[in-house]
Amino acid sequence: MRRFLRENSLSIVFLVLFLAALSGQAIAGHAEINEQQVRHGDPEISLGRYVVSSDFGNGVLENWQSEYLQFALMILLTVWLLQKGSPESKELDQGGRETDEEQKVGEHAQRNSPKWAKVRGIRRMLYENSLVLVMGTIWLGSWFAQSVTGVVAYNSERLDHHMDTVGLWTYLGTGDFWDKTLQNWQSEFLAVGSMAILSVYLRQRGSPESKPVGAPHTATGVEG
Amino acid sequence: MGPRAVSLACVLAIAVAGCGTGERADDAAAVAERFHAALGSGDGQAACAQLSAETASKLELQEQKPCEEAILTLELPKGGTVAVKRVEMRSAFAGLAEGGADFLDEGPDSWRISAAGCEPTAAEQPYECELEG
Repeated sequence: MRRFLRENSLSIVFLVLFLAALSGQAIAGHAEINEQQVRHGDPEISLGRYVVSSDFGNGVLENWQSEYLQFALMILLTVWLLQKGSPESKELDQGGRETDEEQKVGEHAQRNSPKWAKVRGIRRMLYENSLVLVMGTIWLGSWFAQSVTGVVAYNSERLDHHMDTVGLWTYLGTGDFWDKTLQNWQSEFLAVGSMAILSVYLRQRGSPESKPVGAPHTATGVEG
Repeated sequence: MGPRAVSLACVLAIAVAGCGTGERADDAAAVAERFHAALGSGDGQAACAQLSAETASKLELQEQKPCEEAILTLELPKGGTVAVKRVEMRSAFAGLAEGGADFLDEGPDSWRISAAGCEPTAAEQPYECELEG
């Protein structure tokens, strides 16, 4: 058990942090909604009611979709795009999909390589791109869920102001949808870009996200 | 969080967004029909019972008389059937087949009318309502 915890400590700690932050978001969001309810002379709603509402769902999913977009783009673009001196980048002469030998696929696979790395055809193609495919699918799924919950919350506001509601297709062209989408995208892209550049010059001893403390600034694609 | 769990969460979000709105729309429509039926039979008290507290209070302040008297002086549809009903979270819309529409808010125990006798104006503008909270 102790070994399991140590060997999986990264995902366990982040799962706990995620659950704690999600709970905190639910409590804070619930308080904010009830402030609005009271201000409009409407009755307060329970926490249980709030966490299954489109208000809460939209707030959660607009953040999820941008995180998975960030990862999908990062994973995909670092195949070809380079950043001299950054541990986030491959070495400068390694741009592209690399050779089968370098990727240990097909006849170059090892005994303990994943099964689909050893085969040919569609299965290997799918497995070679599985990380981007899954991240991209989750991004699209959560972006769609953001739009569905978003149009409900948007229409609730419109009815509150005695206006007609709009359909999902119309909602996708509104400032509300794109404001929520792009405010998340800008922060994700800034975070990745910052990390790529800052890690050229700054260090964190012991972290695989950093170069070794004594590595030169020009050293590219090395981990601490 | 694994991809399967995230996908499930997305499906659940979509389901929850629309969950139970059919029954709630029927409840909102019933309140609107009760309101207009009360007006049709001249029962101001029954009509006012369908209003939100804020709307009833504002009516009394504007007309300087009790709600059950003031409500019967307004030009509101008397009787009618709801042909279009819509619920979005805690707000609802009830459009009468005979013309006119009501907007409702979810109260502590049932839907309550926040605006009645409403007609559309220009695109992307609020309805103009005979009674408004």
